[in-house]
Amino acid sequence: MRNQLIIRGCLERARFTLDLDLSIDLNEPLGIMGATGAGKTTLLRIIAGLEPDFTGSVAFCGDVWRDGMIDRVPTHQRGLGVAFQDSRLLPGRTVENNLNFATQRAPAVDSRLDYMTLVEALDLQHLLCEPVDSLSGGERQRVALARALLARPRLLLLDEPLSANDGVHRQQVIAHLGDWMSAGGTPFIYVSHAAAELAQLTRQVLILDQGAVRALGKTDTLLDAGNVVPGTEPSSFAAVVVATDNDSRTATLEFTDVDDAGIALNRGERVVVCRDVSEGSGLDASLQPESDEDQR
Amino acid sequence: MPDDMQAVWLTVLLAGVTTLLLFPIASPLAWWLARSDSKGRSLVEAVVAMPLVLPPTVLGFYLLVMLNPESFVGGLWFNVTGESLTFSFSGLVIASVIYSLPFMVQPLHATFRAVPVPVLEAAATLGASPRDQWLNVVLPLAKRGYLTGGVLTFAHTVGEFGVVLMMGGNIPGETRVLSIAIYEHVETLNYQAAHSLALGLMCFSFLSLWLVYRYAGHRFEVVR
Repeated sequence: MRNQLIIRGCLERARFTLDLDLSIDLNEPLGIMGATGAGKTTLLRIIAGLEPDFTGSVAFCGDVWRDGMIDRVPTHQRGLGVAFQDSRLLPGRTVENNLNFATQRAPAVDSRLDYMTLVEALDLQHLLCEPVDSLSGGERQRVALARALLARPRLLLLDEPLSANDGVHRQQVIAHLGDWMSAGGTPFIYVSHAAAELAQLTRQVLILDQGAVRALGKTDTLLDAGNVVPGTEPSSFAAVVVATDNDSRTATLEFTDVDDAGIALNRGERVVVCRDVSEGSGLDASLQPESDEDQR
Repeated sequence: MPDDMQAVWLTVLLAGVTTLLLFPIASPLAWWLARSDSKGRSLVEAVVAMPLVLPPTVLGFYLLVMLNPESFVGGLWFNVTGESLTFSFSGLVIASVIYSLPFMVQPLHATFRAVPVPVLEAAATLGASPRDQWLNVVLPLAKRGYLTGGVLTFAHTVGEFGVVLMMGGNIPGETRVLSIAIYEHVETLNYQAAHSLALGLMCFSFLSLWLVYRYAGHRFEVVR
């Protein structure tokens, strides 16, 4: 029962219907991936109790959070920490004030993660007195992440928490995050497009495609060559490999024809695959979309 | 002149009490208007805005009909307090609350609508109950709305004339407010006294509007 997350039910959306029957042991950190619009964020919102139209049940650690259309435990009593992709900081306040908002409402449990450690590790010390409205997107995301961690959550939900950060900050934060999470034992769910981040942080991965669960399994297995796939089955498409890393395990592709891709990507948009390839070659695989920043 | 001072004091008292009463009355109403998708919303909005377009005499007339001791509401009040709601200060307060309602509700409505729902969701995930969210997220963001609503309501109540004349009359110390006093001075051709009161009102109105534009027009301050 400990850290068992159960979600059953469905939610209709204009672009997809989220149909879920999940029972996940969160003692192993969970990653969620899938194309844009696959329902990743919506799934986190259901867990957080922010989707009033969701019909079904949500239970965590044996506590029923939602039953049918009724919230048995409202959002503010679920003991969550959520880092939203769009940060959602309290406007018109300083970084410090935003962090205090979380600290003041956090349960009084012992935490290895104290305020100063967190502020330093997330490179926020020089920003504490700044109003959040003046921060960059990446800085806002790091404040949101710090805020979620300072809430001392029972369950941490991270929705692409570093997507607006540069490679240096990403690597730095992910390394810390991995350490903290394994030390503190806080169960967490990490949504990301970046296979490398998921490989580093999670032990199991859930792949969503248009609201349906395509796969749930070990991160190592699912992220293996050719399986980085939010699509149903590998499809061939026209793409050109524009760069590879040193050992040819990761390649950056550029789509030449949108229709061939079969997934929601625009012409010229880039993806990364883990597969043995050489520059200039074509590929026959389905892929996980990756934003430009992931390349850095 | 002491009569005039009494009128000034009565006007300030009426406007102050009305403003203080409207803060708690208008807040939930404006919040509901800003957040509800209900079909009844436009209906309520229209009712709230009525005093903006109705001649004050119409409003005053119906209030006189509704609140006089022979009527149900007025009779009930009379039985409980032994006092008539018409031609009394209490009646004027009720009338002013209704008459100035849109001047409080509309600024609050606008300011509440500007509070981003995603931020409230984030506050909830951090453990803030709906009440906590309201007090510690919404209110700090709504300061300007409260300042605007408060000043406009106060100033508008000070400038009330038609409604008072219809249902309050001209009882010194009870219902004889500034605008009525000016009217009476003119009626009795005492232009000198009318001038001093009217000029005072002009200055007051200008100052309060200037206050609204000067401070409510600014970005809210950073909370440290």
